Amino acid sequence: MNCRDLETQLTPYLDGELIAEARVEFESHLASCPTCPGHVEVERHNLSTLRAAMHEASPAAPAAFRAKLFENIARDSNRQQRLSVGRVAAVAAGVTFAMVAGHHEYRLHQRHLYEQDAAMRHARQFPLEIQQSPDAIERWFGGKLDHPVNVPRFPNATATGARLLQVRDKPAAYIRYDSARPMGLFVFGDDHDLDVGAEAELGSSHGYNVVSWREGDVVYQLVGRDVDEQDIRELLPPAAGETPVTNPRLDVRPASLQQ
Amino acid sequence: MFGFSRSNQNRAQFEALLTPWLDPLYASAVRLTRNERNAEDLVQDTVMRAWRFFEKFEKGTNFRAWIFKILTNTFINSYRRNTRERSLQDESERQSVEARFFSAELTEQTQNPEEFLLNRVMSQDVLVAIDTLSIDFRMVVILADLQEFSYKEIAEILDIPVGTVMSRLFRGRKQLQKILLAREGESAETIDLNAFRERKKLA
Ligand SMILES: [Zn+2]
Repeated sequence: MNCRDLETQLTPYLDGELIAEARVEFESHLASCPTCPGHVEVERHNLSTLRAAMHEASPAAPAAFRAKLFENIARDSNRQQRLSVGRVAAVAAGVTFAMVAGHHEYRLHQRHLYEQDAAMRHARQFPLEIQQSPDAIERWFGGKLDHPVNVPRFPNATATGARLLQVRDKPAAYIRYDSARPMGLFVFGDDHDLDVGAEAELGSSHGYNVVSWREGDVVYQLVGRDVDEQDIRELLPPAAGETPVTNPRLDVRPASLQQ
Repeated sequence: MFGFSRSNQNRAQFEALLTPWLDPLYASAVRLTRNERNAEDLVQDTVMRAWRFFEKFEKGTNFRAWIFKILTNTFINSYRRNTRERSLQDESERQSVEARFFSAELTEQTQNPEEFLLNRVMSQDVLVAIDTLSIDFRMVVILADLQEFSYKEIAEILDIPVGTVMSRLFRGRKQLQKILLAREGESAETIDLNAFRERKKLA
């Protein structure tokens, strides 16, 4: 790869959209070129500045407008109900059967889609909204999402920053961990749409490994390069007191690694 | 009664899916229409359309992409009705992605001294700059940089190839940067890469 090739791939690189092999080539050119790193640094900076300014300038939907919107949905819904009572009953049985049959593969497939999306969003290195201690991060998330956000403490990595993101259509907390190999953790509410259990499972996408596990209605996805079994072994269950009292203390490691 | 409970359940589902995306939809609509009154109309049309077609939405798939697709379609339709401005999808757009990467515009860019946007770009300036983009660039920039959709999602939302998403994003961002850098230039505050690094060290 030469400097011109790099230029052609700069946009997808900064967006985290290069496939693994292309990214490796890109980065090996970067490592050996005297001029490209400066250029990439400028472009990365400009992009994140642009994005931060756009976010800052985003207005929220006015409360009165929201209220009117939901009123209109309710009104429309009542009208529909009067029209559709008979039709619904006729088709209901068939629909239910199809849903049950396809459910299992569907959930596996869903998990993979979430792994892909988490990997890609992590790769994009979106600007963080807060860069402080894990405690401060937990406080910052307070009330921002429908579920409480506990910041898991890992032995070899420290949570240093966070922001709101989403994984596919689920609003998520994103927590960045600094270590020899930086990692990102997504935390989002999931009403058991996803085939993720209390035991951590390893998937991969876009050249990243993605470890997923669940605590009740909350799913965690940890994304990093070369996060391997050793790292999973080192992942500790959340310290007692961080999980609700009604929940038993969960061991997030695969069964084969538990004593 | 069966029909009633199903319908109420449907509505509850719809509202639960919709609620987290109301602010993003509204913010995007404001940037698309450049005006808060029109943005409310656009979101209102979008939401009612989504609600009426909610049976067609495959449960468990990407609701956010689905409703943004309705938003952009609704916008494009009313936009095309109200103005006769042609879409940018013209001959130059159909050139291959590769050809674009070697355009004169790009070569010039890479040969120019590197210019950093100041860390504190004024949000107001960004809004003005986005408003100057043609609708096709504006939509892609809003979807990618404000809503953080992936290329693949944007391709699906706008029904265009992934290569076109990338090319519009590249060109849209370049235009924004150019406008913003020019603005900074007016205030004589533009700094080059070395000066930027010095600043960073001092900070
Ligand atoms: Zn180079």
